[in-house]
Amino acid sequence: MSALAASPAPPALEIRDLVVRYGASRAAKRNPPAVDGVSFDIRPGETVGLVGESGSGKSTIGKAVLGLQPPSAGTVRLNGQDITQSSLKQRRRLAVDLRVVFQDPYSSLNPTRTIGQTLVEPLRVLGVPSREGERRARETLESVGLPADTVERYPSQFSGGQRQRIAIARALVCDPKVVVLDEPVSALDLSTQATVLNLLADLRDQRDLGFLFIAHDLGVVRFLAQRVVVLYRGQVMESGSVEPVTQAPRHPYTVALTSAAPVPRPAEQTARRQAREALGFRTAGAAAGSSTGCPFAPRCPLATEECRTERPLLRRVEQSLTACHHAEQVAALTGAAGVRP
Amino acid sequence: MSVLPLDVADEVATEPAQPSRRRRPPGFLQRPGGLLGAVWLVLVVIASFTAPLWRPYGVATQDLAHRLALPSAAHLLGTDPLGRDLLSRLATAGAEPLLASAVTVLVAFGIGLPLALIAAERGPRVERVLSRTTEVFLALPLIIILLAVIGVIGSRTYVVMAVLGVLISAAVYRIMLGVAQSVRQRLYVDAARVNGLGSLRVNLVHVLPSMATVAAVQAAQLFGIGLLINAGLSFLGFGPAEPQPSWGLMIQDASAHVYDDPWLMVPSGLVLSLTVVAANELVDAIAGRTTKGRVRTRTRPVARVAAVDRGGRASAALEVRGLTVAVDGGPTLVSGVSFRVQPGRVLGLVGESGCGKTMTARSLLGLLPEGVSVAGGAILWQGRDLAGLSERELNAVRGREIAMISQEPMVALDPMFSIAYQLVRPLRRFRSIGRGEARRVAAELLSQVGIVDPERVLRSYPHQLSGGMAQRVAIALALTGRPKLLVADEPTTALDVTVQAEILSLLRGLVQEIDLAVVIVSHDLGVVADICDDVAVMYAGEVVESGTAAAVLDDAAHPYTMALLRANPHVAEGHAVPVRLASIAGTVPAPGSWPAGCRFAGRCRFASDACRVPFVPLPAHGGGSVLCIRAEDLARENATWERERAGAEVGAEVRA
Amino acid sequence: MLSYVGRRLALAVGTVLAAVVISFLLVHATPGSPGAVVLGPSGTAAQIAAKNHELGWDRPLVVQFADYLGHLIRGDLGTSLIDGRSIAGDLGARLPVTASIAVLATLLSGVLGVVLGVTAAVRGGVLARVIGTGSGIALSLPAFWVGILFVYVLALQLGLLPATGYVPFTENPVGWLGSLLLPVLALTVGGAAIIARTAAAGMRDALAQEHIRTLRALGTPTWRIRYIHALRFASVPVVSVLGIQFIGLFGGSVIIENLFALPGLGQASQAAVSAHDFPALIGVVVVATVVVVVTNLLLDLVVAALDPKVRTA
Repeated sequence: MSALAASPAPPALEIRDLVVRYGASRAAKRNPPAVDGVSFDIRPGETVGLVGESGSGKSTIGKAVLGLQPPSAGTVRLNGQDITQSSLKQRRRLAVDLRVVFQDPYSSLNPTRTIGQTLVEPLRVLGVPSREGERRARETLESVGLPADTVERYPSQFSGGQRQRIAIARALVCDPKVVVLDEPVSALDLSTQATVLNLLADLRDQRDLGFLFIAHDLGVVRFLAQRVVVLYRGQVMESGSVEPVTQAPRHPYTVALTSAAPVPRPAEQTARRQAREALGFRTAGAAAGSSTGCPFAPRCPLATEECRTERPLLRRVEQSLTACHHAEQVAALTGAAGVRP
Repeated sequence: MSVLPLDVADEVATEPAQPSRRRRPPGFLQRPGGLLGAVWLVLVVIASFTAPLWRPYGVATQDLAHRLALPSAAHLLGTDPLGRDLLSRLATAGAEPLLASAVTVLVAFGIGLPLALIAAERGPRVERVLSRTTEVFLALPLIIILLAVIGVIGSRTYVVMAVLGVLISAAVYRIMLGVAQSVRQRLYVDAARVNGLGSLRVNLVHVLPSMATVAAVQAAQLFGIGLLINAGLSFLGFGPAEPQPSWGLMIQDASAHVYDDPWLMVPSGLVLSLTVVAANELVDAIAGRTTKGRVRTRTRPVARVAAVDRGGRASAALEVRGLTVAVDGGPTLVSGVSFRVQPGRVLGLVGESGCGKTMTARSLLGLLPEGVSVAGGAILWQGRDLAGLSERELNAVRGREIAMISQEPMVALDPMFSIAYQLVRPLRRFRSIGRGEARRVAAELLSQVGIVDPERVLRSYPHQLSGGMAQRVAIALALTGRPKLLVADEPTTALDVTVQAEILSLLRGLVQEIDLAVVIVSHDLGVVADICDDVAVMYAGEVVESGTAAAVLDDAAHPYTMALLRANPHVAEGHAVPVRLASIAGTVPAPGSWPAGCRFAGRCRFASDACRVPFVPLPAHGGGSVLCIRAEDLARENATWERERAGAEVGAEVRA
Repeated sequence: MLSYVGRRLALAVGTVLAAVVISFLLVHATPGSPGAVVLGPSGTAAQIAAKNHELGWDRPLVVQFADYLGHLIRGDLGTSLIDGRSIAGDLGARLPVTASIAVLATLLSGVLGVVLGVTAAVRGGVLARVIGTGSGIALSLPAFWVGILFVYVLALQLGLLPATGYVPFTENPVGWLGSLLLPVLALTVGGAAIIARTAAAGMRDALAQEHIRTLRALGTPTWRIRYIHALRFASVPVVSVLGIQFIGLFGGSVIIENLFALPGLGQASQAAVSAHDFPALIGVVVVATVVVVVTNLLLDLVVAALDPKVRTA
């Protein structure tokens, strides 16, 4: 991991100052954008976790990268090539290396098409002959742990976990460099989730794939990702390698997220809960922050007047980038409350 | 004549039928209404279009000696005021309305369907323009406009019916737009777009097939409307000119002779009506709509498990013994579940989906879904068995003694009423207080559940609240009757993790403050560790392990619990993340196909032959139990459910 | 809310304009001319041209249209080509007849339909089956045929009601009601069937909602769950369909008026069509559209009052 971080390999996916606004009406322009100036890279073979709660804009970023939601500003580069404004048709050639796995394994497969038809579809678009396409479909299914004769069957014959494997096979069948994983396990039961996560980890290690892993669950992100970008209301709060960010957060919002995720150890969880309650985060229902200040200020125990008026820029604090005026105090905050052992 | 609204779209499942069974006739023909409708329509079409070949008389052949005759061998359906044969005229008249209504349907779909697809694809701007235009069309009085058209161009049936198609295409657009938009939200459409499929192919392959059912329903319904309007116009004399026959004109004839020959109204009216009925029966059959009403629930006698001992360990507020829940006349969903909850303690029912935890929770309030009921066991609530109570007796318990909060806070509140109304009604009922007093208490309750501006929230409607806020209101609602037991079904699953933490803290506070007993259903072991004092792990309809949360989670005795814990990626700060997680092969067996013996045996790494025969739970974790015949062996061997090695999923060793 | 009302009003005006434009274009796009209608087959080409000039028919279309709109705003719909009477006056006298039929039929359909639909949804079982099948057949029956049946049974066989004719309300209110009852009943058969279906489906949907379970979990009395909470939830689709019903009944009354010889808008439009009385034709379209548009506006207000999501949007 550290070797990868140091290598100067050009990013497979490069996102700069991405802004996405929904709606074009004047009223929509007055609302804060769904994604507000987000930048990050994914190097070949690297998994970047995009984490945040509902309304953080994480799925919107995925859509903008895939061309499903046109960005209002900023650039998206794939293998160095600008695809920001490319239509889906142009992407047929430009974005061969970019694929997707969606959250809901039930609505992501067309129930009227066989698995074979679904898998061959992207290959047909690329002009792969049908026999070759069929062969690759079978191969890819086997590589995600499904029998090759799956091609003849319909989605309704499979369980949620199996469907998600099929969706992964569809993403991999044309051998992409980057796969957007939009909450790929959050609709699954715990044991199924575990096997799909294992599969993704194996594929990541085996194929030198870049993953943009979108999730609301920091624990799952920590399992799969090397780097993580923490979003709140469309803005990056903190980013960096996954261990420093999750183990020694430099942003109060990251602290709120990590401390709120419960662990299945009653004694530890009791201590963590008491520590979190002592931190003094204000409720999520609180009013939105001012458009000029830090979006998290209304909930933040460290917030000062500065936070409410001046939007903090991302800056490097130790190993991470954080957008907090008081990043240096965050360690003391968690230390004092005993969140960190 | 009333014009039917095209009303069925929202009731029709847009999920296309399973295509694997191609040999069988389509589903709508398997319903009696659909079959009869289809047969009648086919008969009428064949009879109408072949009428010139077989009709016994010419349409204009007059038999003045037998005017207004009743049915006879010579004239099977009788004759009209000019002595013309009704059967011949009736059959001949059919071709034009059938064809003309088909024209209306084709024109309406030819315009409405492509516009709907375009609007759904191009997004809000195009959609707004198209929708506003169609709204204008929808507000035009159809028949009057058609009359105006006839006034100008004359009674040219096919042109007039095509104009009707144009006007009604607005309605087709409206309905198909809704369907197209919902289909386009399905992820496979996005996946196809990411794959680089062109817009036409996306629509043809992925969008249109899913719209077929609704389109067929609408087409059949529209066909019926076309027939009625066409007949109405010819009734007014704007159809084919005499001596050409038309259904409408024949009914007009009948109306003129209602005094001297009432029979005349029967053949023409019946053929027209039956044809429209047939079209509408087809609509219902395609839409999969049955006229079957709600199944009435019967409380059925519950087989009691042993006698109720009122002495002994009486401290439990709730004691469930051997609870069995089953589909009436169908498979068992929950079997032999037992647990106890004490005041001021929280019990967690934990397991994966399909393990029966929600059914167990709901049976505590007698709120099982229709067609599912308690088939055995006892639910002892302060000495009384709730399982045998009538709906009326249960209603006295609900809210007052046992309350419930559910998984989706946004839909758990009535969208049509203000929060104030929803809180004040039960407060007045439960506490016998006046409106003003109830409102004051409502505000207090909202403050108690951590809402900082109760007055504003009281004035709000559910759709104006966030998920976390709505769940707080739902908890306040559950507290209106000062219950002693709260049943919470996945109360935080739909919420963000920071909001979940707040709601769990709130619940914990309530437990301590008012000595509430809580049964919480969750799939999340972390939530259980956070809030539960005791836990019952459920698998395939039974409790496989129970005990205090600390004992069960820290020292799991059942392989299923062990596996679940090892499959969980969440670890506390300072611990390393596992390289791979534990997995459990296979899936939870469905109700009705549970094996004898251990239901987990088929997926268990430690299963032996001893597991395949029935056995009873063993005591474990102090007051708890474990349903595993090998539990002691496993404990002695210090067995653990190992995590996978890297590469196991792709069938190869990978560089770790 | 204010912008919502504004948008609805704009749409209403737009609809009336569209109706005028469509009928205007229809009338002018065809070979016939008012001169020819007035003079009949005996008129020569020169006479017809002169008459057309007199009527302003040879002016540019835009000018005629603007002229018509100008009069329309003052409530003037022109004069009939056939008898030279004021069209506005004539239609004004006929509107109450058609409106009474449509309003009464809508109200009766509403009451009957809601009772039947709610009963089917709440009771279930055989009763629901009967109501479901019955309404499926009833909504397919042509009202003008049902009308004949009713005339035969209620008027001729049982002698309960007059078969045809119209008694103005001002002359004899009871007679008025009696003269309208048969046509109203004929229209109600299909109307009530549609409302019954909508109400049954709406009620079933409402009773299956999650919030109903919340109410049950609170021990709320069953009548309150059904007739306060579920019915309120089901009322929005029912009211919408009632509005559509009214519009359909208003247009459809043309045919039923013919059957029962009632002096309503329908008779006027049928006469105008038969006689090619162009100004009368446009007049009927305009009046009918205005009624529809006003109904739609009222409907929007009722829905907004019922549904807080619409009201607070």
